[in-house]
Amino acid sequence: MEKSGSVDSLGSKRSSSRQPSVDSLSRLSSTSTSTSRSDRSGQAKPPSAMSSDSVSTSAEFSPELRVKPKASAKVIRESDKEEPQLLPNETVQDMAQDITYFCPFTGALRGTVTITNYRLFFKCMDREPTFVLDLPLGVVSRVEKIGSASSRGDVSYGLVCKDMRNLRFAHKQLEDTLRKSIFEVLMKFAFPVSNGLQIFAFEYGQVFPENGWKVYDAVSEYKRQGIPNESWRITKVNDHYELCDTYPSTLAVPVNIPDEELKRVAAFRAKGRIPVLSWIHPESQATVTRCSQPMVGVNGKRSKEDEKYLQAIMDANAQSHKLFIFDARPSVNAAANKMKGGGYESEDAYQNAELVFLDIHNIHVMRESLRKLKDVVYPNIEDSHWLSNLESTHWLEHIKLILAGALRIADKVESGKTSVVVHCSDGWDRTAQLTSLSMLMLDSYYRTIRGFEVLLEKEWLSFGHRFQLRIGHGDKNHTDADRSPVFIQFIDCVWQLTRQFPAAFEFNEYFLVTILDHLYSCLFGTFLCNSEQQRLKEEIPKRTVSLWSYINSQLEEFTNPLYVNYSNHVLFPVVSLRHLELWVGYYIRWNPRMRPQEPVHQRHKELLAKRAELQKRVDELQREVTNRSASSSSERAGSPTRSITPVQTFV
Amino acid sequence: MLTGSKTTFKVRQMLPDIKERMLSQTGLNARSRDVFGLRCLPGECVLQRAVMVRKKLTAREGRGWLSGTLFCTHFRVAFVPQDSPKPDDNADPVLLGDHDVALASIEKVVVVGPNRTKLVTPSSSLKFTPEELVLYCRDMRVICFLFDRLTPDAQVIEITYTIAKTAKSGSVLSFQNAALGSVEMKQFLSNRHRDTHMNWFESASDWEQELERCGAMSWRVSSVNDRFEMSTSLSRFIVVPQKVLDTELKKSFAHFNEGRIPRWCWRHPRGSDLLRMASFQNNIYHEKDDIRCEHVGCFLLDAGACFRHLSEMTQTWSDAFSLFRLADISTSVSVPDDKWLSTLENTHWLDYTRSCLRKASEVACLLRGGHLTVALQEAEDRDMSCVVSSLVQVMCDPHCRTQLGFQGLVQKEWVMAGHRFCSRINYRRDNDKEEAPVFQLFLDCVWQLWSQYPSRFQLTDEFLLALHDSIQLPLFSTFLANSQRERCKRSQNLGQTYTPVNGWRDVLHPDSSDPSDPPLPPVWDWSLQYSKPTQDRFTQPVAPTPPLQPLLNGNLNTNPDTHRLADTIPGSVFLLSRGTFSCPANLLPWRSGSSGVYKKSHRRALSSENVPGLERLLKAWALTDFPQALTSTSGPQGPLDPYEPLLPLLMGPCMGLWRECYLRGALHAQAFSHPVSANHPHPVERLAQEVQQLKDKLAQVSSSTDPTTPTATAEPRRTDTNLNQNTNNGTFLFPSSRPQGSGAPRAAAPPTSTNHQTSRGPPPASAPPSRPAHKDTGGSNKHTFLFGHSSGTEARPEQRYYPAPNSAKLPKSNGPSLAS
Repeated sequence: MEKSGSVDSLGSKRSSSRQPSVDSLSRLSSTSTSTSRSDRSGQAKPPSAMSSDSVSTSAEFSPELRVKPKASAKVIRESDKEEPQLLPNETVQDMAQDITYFCPFTGALRGTVTITNYRLFFKCMDREPTFVLDLPLGVVSRVEKIGSASSRGDVSYGLVCKDMRNLRFAHKQLEDTLRKSIFEVLMKFAFPVSNGLQIFAFEYGQVFPENGWKVYDAVSEYKRQGIPNESWRITKVNDHYELCDTYPSTLAVPVNIPDEELKRVAAFRAKGRIPVLSWIHPESQATVTRCSQPMVGVNGKRSKEDEKYLQAIMDANAQSHKLFIFDARPSVNAAANKMKGGGYESEDAYQNAELVFLDIHNIHVMRESLRKLKDVVYPNIEDSHWLSNLESTHWLEHIKLILAGALRIADKVESGKTSVVVHCSDGWDRTAQLTSLSMLMLDSYYRTIRGFEVLLEKEWLSFGHRFQLRIGHGDKNHTDADRSPVFIQFIDCVWQLTRQFPAAFEFNEYFLVTILDHLYSCLFGTFLCNSEQQRLKEEIPKRTVSLWSYINSQLEEFTNPLYVNYSNHVLFPVVSLRHLELWVGYYIRWNPRMRPQEPVHQRHKELLAKRAELQKRVDELQREVTNRSASSSSERAGSPTRSITPVQTFV
Repeated sequence: MLTGSKTTFKVRQMLPDIKERMLSQTGLNARSRDVFGLRCLPGECVLQRAVMVRKKLTAREGRGWLSGTLFCTHFRVAFVPQDSPKPDDNADPVLLGDHDVALASIEKVVVVGPNRTKLVTPSSSLKFTPEELVLYCRDMRVICFLFDRLTPDAQVIEITYTIAKTAKSGSVLSFQNAALGSVEMKQFLSNRHRDTHMNWFESASDWEQELERCGAMSWRVSSVNDRFEMSTSLSRFIVVPQKVLDTELKKSFAHFNEGRIPRWCWRHPRGSDLLRMASFQNNIYHEKDDIRCEHVGCFLLDAGACFRHLSEMTQTWSDAFSLFRLADISTSVSVPDDKWLSTLENTHWLDYTRSCLRKASEVACLLRGGHLTVALQEAEDRDMSCVVSSLVQVMCDPHCRTQLGFQGLVQKEWVMAGHRFCSRINYRRDNDKEEAPVFQLFLDCVWQLWSQYPSRFQLTDEFLLALHDSIQLPLFSTFLANSQRERCKRSQNLGQTYTPVNGWRDVLHPDSSDPSDPPLPPVWDWSLQYSKPTQDRFTQPVAPTPPLQPLLNGNLNTNPDTHRLADTIPGSVFLLSRGTFSCPANLLPWRSGSSGVYKKSHRRALSSENVPGLERLLKAWALTDFPQALTSTSGPQGPLDPYEPLLPLLMGPCMGLWRECYLRGALHAQAFSHPVSANHPHPVERLAQEVQQLKDKLAQVSSSTDPTTPTATAEPRRTDTNLNQNTNNGTFLFPSSRPQGSGAPRAAAPPTSTNHQTSRGPPPASAPPSRPAHKDTGGSNKHTFLFGHSSGTEARPEQRYYPAPNSAKLPKSNGPSLAS
């Protein structure tokens, strides 16, 4: 998340593996670091990194600043320019001096603003150390001009950001009326889609050693799960996205349903999103399948093909003679959908199926809840009523409902050995949350870094979670009702799981924060567009860099040192509000007073390093010993000296 | 001592074999204390037993279920897992096993039937066969046992009754007798050696040691209160200014409530002293009786003022208490989940924790300024003063963040200072008015600090939890008295078990002791309560590394420049009373009108320059503004001063709830419990174990290879070792072979086993004659953790606290030396 920052490593950015100078990094960037980790100063950050140095609060709160000797810091300072370190193909668009930034934590700061086609860069040289604010423009949700008729002739602009903060700047009234304010320039580049420009991800030319677009391959992922098998087959019926344009081209369906029938099922499901396999239990063959709501309507329409199809899903699992249909919505909403032609499966029509409503609210409720949460945490927190204020946002309650739903699904599949069908209305928001979370609980593969990437690529990206609409990349229409923090909510749920099972995940908190930061940054192509079809049409994999290229090129940054590969362990989290916490490291990270006090990760890393070092030493010595004993005991066969066993490792 | 227990013993309900067994217990065969796999304490007898019971494991224990046998004795409810290892008859008695709960800490017994839940009291009758037995404990544990269909109904009902009756009807004394009253137990306890590595603050030399540790040269230990004549609630030794003579001192007691004169507690390395005192007896105004506090600048900080009132606080606690309770019962009264946060907020528990921490942080910052004295004044000086003064020391003194240092701190600021443990805990349930969880509040504050600065503590939250739970066990001399005087009265006829030889002891109150009372151990004798593996978790596996740079949190202006007040006017006296400044002449009210010189200096001290300095300090706490000066002055300054206070973040989202303590066993939350990762120790622990194993291996391998490393000497060596081999049946090839042999099963054993290290204890059957190297490896099995404590080490805890691990070359011997 560090922004690469520093000018002096400008020339060296060809390869991602290079090591930018530690000093420059920690000086300019680090600090803010958004993430809860404060221990990362000394490591190389690929330039691609991210944003969010944000309120970098001048380092006064960043512990790592003090590690380095003063002398070297000084050298850097002299070489400082007022420009940010630019990414490949990033170009400066405008620059203005004497801009005031009203930091809610440190007060007003005067400095220089640089706008590029990727970022806003504010630098205040008055402070010691220099205060830097480095903001990818993709984060900006709206720019508003505030009180232009200020007495001193100042023009003030407010930037509402998608990542839980607001920024306020002001500058003097421009004498030259023809000249555009720098914030007008900002608006142009912050909303490229609305201004007929290209999102920066298409220009970003960084080359990483690994190609993240190769992380996910649908066929091999199904193969990993054992598909095709005697009950499930892979169909190419949607190869040209004719069956369903929001689904991926590769789908796994029951063996005994021919492609022709799939088309008839698609006619009965909203947007043609038929039930398809997400995950299959390796032993019981119980499955998680996802779809959209049935088009029942007010008249209670039925579809023989759909009923047969669900029966086939149930029959594919010999362990159970029941099928659970989890409707993510509250039952009232599900019923209301009948007015629009949708609805839910009636238990009369679907024999042996049991319908369960999970009471998760829609995207509009979630958006409102997050807005309230932002009010409560940014910029100021009211200590005396903190808990009740937090309660009134209902954010944790929503998190709880989602986790509880996923838990029920996982429990049905694991303990009940029963197949489940999950849907909401369209099957791309709440359904994605539920299936991916339950798969995370059920399958330890998804708890590795690469596995998690596969999970996102599969359940979210390929199955058409509408990232473009939900996030509004480069779009100035901030009131768009399609925007909603569905994906943030999902990552929050994952974080809650990592809190309850600290050793079960290969990735750390920084990994999750990085994903969320690049969800907005528009630096990588991963989260662009709404569906696989669109991504293919836009040639996203060809024209942009994948976030996974960046992440997989420096895995050590994102690795949880405590990871234990509990393979075949199913996680059943406690979903009571008593055991859920607010993700302070993400939602309140801009508040410098919330910074964690201790680099705990650092200690764990040291422990790991120590172990690796000792292990190496033991290996060496044992090899020596073995060699010597082999030479001395060649005549004594089967002597127990060979019993030297390497010490087991578990991380 | 068994006659007393007979009265509650229902012979006819016992299974005959148990009865038989019990009788044999009372008879000669006391050596084998194993009853149905339950290792009884000497004299302990099993009242009831139920087989095929499953215990629900908490998240910490790995969740899921554990099946075994449930017992009820006069002292405890014990649970023995099915495949638990055979107890070793020669081992020292442990009061409570890992799955046991003392009857005295059971608050409520609830049974769950097929469709109902019932609170069981001694008089209630059960009309159904319970399926589940839930024990709600006073230490907030909730323990849940599930009966199997195969458990005989009679057993289920009887054990439920027995637990309910014995838990409710037993007095504190009978409970003590059940646990410690037997001859063997008394014998055993009187032979215990107490830990000499911690400071008990019982003798004058203990206090002198502390003075020396802190470098407090201008103070001395006075034994003026040796017979508790000056103050009944103070300890026998108090620390007073060097210059004050005992004769002068004696006159000052009358000026303070309960005779609790200002006394020294701790000295900050920058030369600031922390004092404690009770409020003034304001009826006496006498000039010559002050103890010359004015030799050092003196801040009086009224510790009591930051809390509304103690009784009010008690109310809060019981709110919070009942809340957690209710949350645990899945009955109609439980707090709905969606109201949890606001309900929690309404208990104000976190507010109280916060205000304690805030007050302590202020004091810590004042002390850090250097060369001034902060005196904590509270009406009685026995509650909040204890909390604040000990918190200040935990924040500022790394020694107090080690287990032994912390124990010493509790001895100094709570036990010796006369905190009314007995009344505040209210063991006898006879004085609810006095009951207040002051000590628990302190533990919660320490936990908050720990959770924000885990690596700056050598002790762990497990230690805090163990201490928290021990409070509810009325067995420890530490908690069973209101003052040191009471403790001395009780223990003085018990020989010198836990107290050093002292001439006064024998003549003190020779008539007040009850010879039938069992001797009470101090709580710090952890082996009585916890197994070795559990105790190992009381300390960090790896010594904390001192941070190289100050970690500033922005809460507080810690810039020393802003409050270097006393440096300029060393003799000045400030009075901060009840949160506001007042005329420093009030400091020693009886002095008013006399000694114009002093008055003058006081006046000068009040100059507007200085007082706002403190106000700025306090204002900074309001978090309204960032300290501007921080950036320039707190740059790289080399290694951090270890005495730099740990200032906690006190914003709402930073105050955590001690879930591991208060929400243990929130049963309803675990709707789907499955054995997820049962018996996996904490990953850090395993990592530490693994590092230790590697170090051990390294030590073993290197001890053999080191002498042979030069290739030139390898040849003769080898013949030598081969000779050695032949004497050992030729099984092994060279000296390191035995350790290797033991290493193989070690590596083969699952790394998850908790008592892994201890299992290495017995040497293999084919053990060669012991060599020094072997001895070392054998010795190291005590040290599960890399830099953990070992009772054998002579090193001071501080030295262990900041080791220089990198300098360690291949360690050859056991754990303690690894630490250096």
